[in-house]
This record gives sequence, structure tokens and C-alpha cells, in this order.
Amino acid sequence: MKTKISYSRSALLVAALAASVACLAGVAGCGAAIPPPELVAARTAYKKAADGPANKESPAQVHEAQLALDVAEKKWAEIPDSAEVKDLAYVAQRKAELAEATADTSLAMKQKDMSERGAQQAQVDALRSTQDQLTKTKEELEREKQRRADAEKRAAQAMADLQKIAAVKQDSRGVVITLSGGVLFKTGESKLLPAAMAQLNQVADALSGNNPDATIEVDGYTDNQGKDATNRELSQKRATSVADYIVSRGIAKDRVKAVGKGSDSPIADNTSTEGRAQNRRVEIVVGGGAAK
Amino acid sequence: MKRSRSLLFTPFILAACGGSFPVPTERLSSAEGGTRTAHELNAEGDPQAALHLKLANEQIEKAKAAMKNDDNKAADLLLQRASADAELSVQLAKGAKAKADAQAAQDRAAALRGGK
Repeated sequence: MKTKISYSRSALLVAALAASVACLAGVAGCGAAIPPPELVAARTAYKKAADGPANKESPAQVHEAQLALDVAEKKWAEIPDSAEVKDLAYVAQRKAELAEATADTSLAMKQKDMSERGAQQAQVDALRSTQDQLTKTKEELEREKQRRADAEKRAAQAMADLQKIAAVKQDSRGVVITLSGGVLFKTGESKLLPAAMAQLNQVADALSGNNPDATIEVDGYTDNQGKDATNRELSQKRATSVADYIVSRGIAKDRVKAVGKGSDSPIADNTSTEGRAQNRRVEIVVGGGAAK
Repeated sequence: MKRSRSLLFTPFILAACGGSFPVPTERLSSAEGGTRTAHELNAEGDPQAALHLKLANEQIEKAKAAMKNDDNKAADLLLQRASADAELSVQLAKGAKAKADAQAAQDRAAALRGGK
């Protein structure tokens, strides 16, 4: 050093004194100096980041911002009016903002993950709900099937029981249940006999087990004895008695129609006692459409 | 004494070295890399990200001008600022995308819940 730089002793002392004075002036200046706006902004930005979500979400970036701020603070402490302080403070502010932006991104990604999990759960729930609904529908279908089978069984049983007390046949009009007039009414009357009611109960049971939309026509018939008008009136009254009774047993009224046919359409010879007894009858015709 | 006297010269020697500040090529490429990344992430699509990308680009241009004038120290500081802006722009662009994705996911979840 001595060989390369040849300053005199006095010059050295002057320089040392000058440096000391300058240094002291600098220190004194530091105490009174107002920080530049850039440094104030950097401090504010750093505090905001350190006190906010970034503290937890992006601690590394917060730390970097702190280091950058420390550099700026140090430079300002050393040389308060240095232009470099502004640049370093600018960088520190950006780093603090970066920490906040990183935290925002991290939170948004977490929110996205949460929503995606929510969407997946919603899909799972929807699938489960559909499966539950399907199971319920299957069970309901099975129960309906069972109900129908039971109803058919009951109807078949009722029809079988009916066949024990009445003639049941199928013709072009539909299913025809023929009840003997002698069992239902006293001669010349249209009031049902007590025994008739038991039979009609079975008829009503059989009818209620059948198609609920099927029409029911109750046709009253007489033999050919007496006046035709009287026979027709009596047959109408008898048909009405039977129709009213089966309605009282739960058959819908609008399905049932009573018709007095008099001595029309005999099914046996009216010249014999037996034949006339067969002709005195009530036919219950179960058809396909609604009765009007 | 000789040693302590020679130490007094140190600030003058260091001050002399400041004049020959190295060319900040590494900082330049780093800052330019940052702006490229920000551009690739569509920083222009988000107002805040676009602002910082613009600041970064402007500072890079100023730094290049300073380098032409052999003011490498000023260029270095400008490039530090540019890098910080570019980095912030990148993160803001990522954040904008993440927020849009989060909103879309939230809407999907709400639609699925609503359609149940």
C-alpha cells in the first residue's frame, strides 16, 4: 500500500478528519431525515403482507420481502439521500405485493379444490339419489305387481264362487251372469228376497274385483205370461232393484244401468213350467266401456 | 499506525471501483425471461398484471439505454425493478387464472347442487 499510494502524513490526517466529519454529519442526518415515499410505501406494503393471509399462505415470499426491505432500510440509514434507496424500496414493495398475490393465488386454488370436491360430492349424491329412487320405483312396481296378482286371484276366486250360485257365460255382449228370478223375487214383486242379497253380495264382490271401467248392465226378464207392458214394467223394477243393491255394495253408480226387457229373448220354452221359470231371470252383463 | 492509516483509503478505493460496474447481462436476461413468462400467461388479460408487465418492459428499455451509455449501475437498479415487476405480473396472471378456475368450479358445483 505504501509503495502504491504515496500520500503525506498531513494529507492523511486531513482526509481522516474530513471522512469523520462527513460520517458524523451523515449519522446526524439519518436521525432527522424523512424517508422517501417509496420506502414508506414499501414498509406499508410489507406490513400489509405480513399481517394478512400471506403470512400463512406464502411465508417464503414474505420473508424475501422482509430481506428486500431490510436492504432498502440499511441503504437509507447509510445514505439517506441516495437515489438507490428509492430503487431498493421499489423492489421491496413489489416483493411484498408478490407475497400477497401468491397468497391470493394459493387461496383461489384451495377454493377451486374445495368446489371441485363439492361438485364431486354433488354428483355422488345425485347418483345415490337416483339409485334410491330406482330402488323405490322397483319396490313400488313389485308391490303393485303383487297387488294386481292378489286382486286377480281374488277376482278369480270370486268368479269361481259366483259360478257356484249363478250361470256365468261369455257372449258377444261380454260376461253374462244369470240369476234365477225365483231366487231373487217373489212372484209378481220386485223387492229382493233376503236369500237374494247373499247371492248378490257375491256378485258384487266378483264385479268389484274386475276391471273398474267395465260397464255393468242389469237386464230384467219375465216369462210371456200376462200383459207385455206389465211384464216390461216388472222387469224394469226388478233390474233396478238388483242394480241399486250392487251399487249399495260398492259398485260405482255410473257404471251400472238397469234395463227392463220384459219377455224378450227367452232362453227356454215358455210353454213349460220349467222353461218359464228359466225365462224369469236377471242377467248382469259386464261389458268393456263406461255405461251411459 | 501504518495499517490504520492505509484503511482510511478504503472508501476512496471502493468509490473508484464503482465507476467500472459490470454489465448486468444476467439481470437483463432474467428480467426479459420474466416478461416473456408473464406474456405467455396472458398477463395482458388482467389489468393489474398488464400494468406491471408494462412497467417491467419500460424499465428494461430504460436499462438498455443506460447500458449503452455505460451507466451499468443505473441499468442494474432498473433491471432489479423490472424483474420485481415482471415477477409480480406473472403471479398476478396466475392468480387471475386461479380465481377464474375457482369461480368456474364453484358455478359447476352450484349447478350440480341446484339440479339435484
